[in-house]
Amino acid sequence: MKLFELGERTAQVHDVLVTVGELADRDDARAVLLESADDPALLRPYLNRLDLVVLRFPIFRDGRGFTQARELREYLRFSGEIRAEGHILPDQAAFLRRCGVDSVVLPKNGNGDPGLWEKQLRQFPVAYQRSVLPERSAGPGLRVEEAS
Amino acid sequence: MKRPVRLEPGQKLVLTANRLLDGRTVWWREDGAWDLRIGYAVLLDADGAEAELSRAVEEAQREGVVGVYDTAVLPVVPPEPVTVREKIRAHGPTVHPEFAVETAQ
Amino acid sequence: MSVPVGHYQYDRIDRDFLQARIAEFEGQVKRRLDGTLSEDEFKPLRLMNGLYLQLHAYMLRVAIPYGILDSRQVRKLGKIARRYDRDYGHFTTRQNIQFNWIRLEDTPDILRELAEVDMHAIQTSGNCIRNVTADEYAGAAADELVDPRVHAEILRQWSTLHPEFTFLPRKFKIAISGSPNDRVAARFHDIGILARPGEDGAPLFRIFVGGGLGRTPVIGEELFDSVREEHLLATLEAILRVYNAHGRRDNIYKARIKILVQAIGVEAYREAVEAELAQMDLERYRLTPEAVAAIRSRFAVPLLEAPADADAVLTEQRRADPLFDRWVRSNTHVHRDPGHIIATISLKPAGGIPGDATSAQIGRLADLADAYSFGEIRITHLQNVVLGHVRKDRLRELWLGLSEVGLAEANIGLIGDIVACPGLDYCALANARSIPIAQKLGARFADTALQAEIGALRINISGCINACGHHHAGHIGLLGVDKRGEEFFQLTVGGQAENGAAIGTILGAALPEDETVDAIARLVDCYLGRRESGETFLETLTRLGHEPFREAAYEAV
Ligand code: HEM
Ligand code: SF4
Repeated sequence: MKLFELGERTAQVHDVLVTVGELADRDDARAVLLESADDPALLRPYLNRLDLVVLRFPIFRDGRGFTQARELREYLRFSGEIRAEGHILPDQAAFLRRCGVDSVVLPKNGNGDPGLWEKQLRQFPVAYQRSVLPERSAGPGLRVEEAS
Repeated sequence: MKRPVRLEPGQKLVLTANRLLDGRTVWWREDGAWDLRIGYAVLLDADGAEAELSRAVEEAQREGVVGVYDTAVLPVVPPEPVTVREKIRAHGPTVHPEFAVETAQ
Repeated sequence: MSVPVGHYQYDRIDRDFLQARIAEFEGQVKRRLDGTLSEDEFKPLRLMNGLYLQLHAYMLRVAIPYGILDSRQVRKLGKIARRYDRDYGHFTTRQNIQFNWIRLEDTPDILRELAEVDMHAIQTSGNCIRNVTADEYAGAAADELVDPRVHAEILRQWSTLHPEFTFLPRKFKIAISGSPNDRVAARFHDIGILARPGEDGAPLFRIFVGGGLGRTPVIGEELFDSVREEHLLATLEAILRVYNAHGRRDNIYKARIKILVQAIGVEAYREAVEAELAQMDLERYRLTPEAVAAIRSRFAVPLLEAPADADAVLTEQRRADPLFDRWVRSNTHVHRDPGHIIATISLKPAGGIPGDATSAQIGRLADLADAYSFGEIRITHLQNVVLGHVRKDRLRELWLGLSEVGLAEANIGLIGDIVACPGLDYCALANARSIPIAQKLGARFADTALQAEIGALRINISGCINACGHHHAGHIGLLGVDKRGEEFFQLTVGGQAENGAAIGTILGAALPEDETVDAIARLVDCYLGRRESGETFLETLTRLGHEPFREAAYEAV
């Protein structure tokens, strides 16, 4: 498994990854796997002890993970690591990052080339809407860029 | 893409796809190449078509085509597709006769 | 370069963004060709750049945000038609233009050409927020309360490459109008927005959700009556967040927001949206007056000056020339300035292809826009073209110029103003051809005097249940169906897109293609024979019910 970091946060390794349903019985679990149909609000009681939430994309077209990540950051104020795995494309790198995802499990085919992910992160100089990242205005109107 | 094709007596199958680079409609030839003219399409029996279809699907990326499937034709010269849709793919849009596709061999 | 009238003026930041998008797409094409991206992966990516694969070639759908173009953009479209297509383009009901003969390998170059004039094909397809449509008379109509274009532009920008909403369950269409007379079919959109002035000068927005056509036509329901400007984006984010999380993904025919709204009910949907809003960091999403003002400042306002006798000149010219008068009656609309008028140019010549324009016609439209309407052109949701600000005393000159290129058809809102999708002549999803039947109907009712006699009657034709031709919303609707490889048409009557939004009722069994035109002619005869004075087709239909029309349509079958 090769990890790629979308931002500054260093990706963590975890020994135990449990499902949402298993969390209640596993006091030792620091990492949880969220399927795309799972409601992130279910994690609320456990957030303090979680270091890592892994969002599984069954197929890259299933965009629920983007909303899950945003809910984790924006509603639940989760400050640990969020990771995406499954069928994801480098073309989604900036979207993932802007929704609060820190790292991805690189696909095992040509789409796992870290160069492609790197490039996509820098593809667009500005964005036309706010994200969960710290941002500053980039010219008049709605445009923003990341505040470094 | 694959729909089960039910052949009436006397009908044959041809394989068709679109070219990846320009999207044009193409037909599978005897020699495994793809041709713009349905007149060059190889006519297959229902039995033989399955193996040819999987071969064509497998080679699609290398041959630069997408969406390979089979469709029924009447074995006249050039072969005439059975459905309106495939007739239009073979001959071009009916509303622009000036863009009619050359079909003959 | 002067600031364009009617649409947002790009600056360097916007232009750099478009270049980045093109570079990204070029890379995606390369990865598709070398096999790194499979067709299944590439398809959604190319669709989000407007590129479809159709029966004969790729089709490129270019965005015309809120339907407004300036003349140099129009000329560029003409050039693309000439150089990369077969010399014509097709204007759609969603204020886009489609080119039918595009090559994948040319597409990055075409996108670069478009970017030269601040145009793109971003999000004209795919399961994302699509090109935002607006009232075609925006900023010109006398009945307008709020010019919707500034907010349409804000929505365009906000939805562009939205990080959270680019992989939705299904496509998502937003329309906005600022007039009490809904000209955008707001209630047939995933989100329809009607703006009106608020007490503090900032607009208030009435928001409908869950409308749509397609295989399950649904009229949108009101979600909120009065959303304040500062909360517009937050509200839209919340609506989309609920949809993205809960919209169905197991069945593409049940994936639109309308199905979710129907399933849980609009009250539950509203509660869900309010629950999101309660948790959201509203400050982050606040649409500030400064941001609105900054975007508004990039729109030029036309300087409307007309001689005092402009109206009198027009009146006299109409009196002297009955042909011109007929065109004025059907093809113009009241402008907010008494010296000006709104002119609609029909792209529906009798027997022609609805919405198609050749590069020569496109070029001529650009010239006429420069000469008569501040260089501004609008595309309507009925596949026509509007010049928004024509001086009344120069209207006749414009009409003469249009006549020279066959664009002076006097049939707006009449039976010849047929809306039709591309159908089976191009479309990979079609069951039947829409264009030939439109051409036959157009030829059957070619006589403009007859059209004027018949009055307001709209025919809409779709080649399959996806309803791109809005057949559900046609006064008479035709839906192409396939019966064992043959083309048939199902007739509906009584649909309506505007204020009294209604879905048409199916008259009976689908008719074979060659009997359809006669059946419609009998339907129209039935109306002409039984109408009471001054009644429109819809009014007679309402009074008499469907039965006489059903009998007329099926009488000879
Ligand atoms: C030729 C290529 C086209 C394809 C492949 C295509 C495909 C589709 C599909 C699949 C739908 C149904 C989606 C759904 O209900 O979930 C749809 C709906 C629609 N299309 Fe197209 N379309 C095409 C051309 C057009 C054109 C030319 C127009 C305008 C004249 C158009 C306007 C619309 C509109 C307004 C809808 C609305 C239905 C709704 O929102 O519920 N499309 N299209
Ligand atoms: S209604 Fe059907 S046939 Fe017509 S353009 Fe849409 S998908 Fe194609």
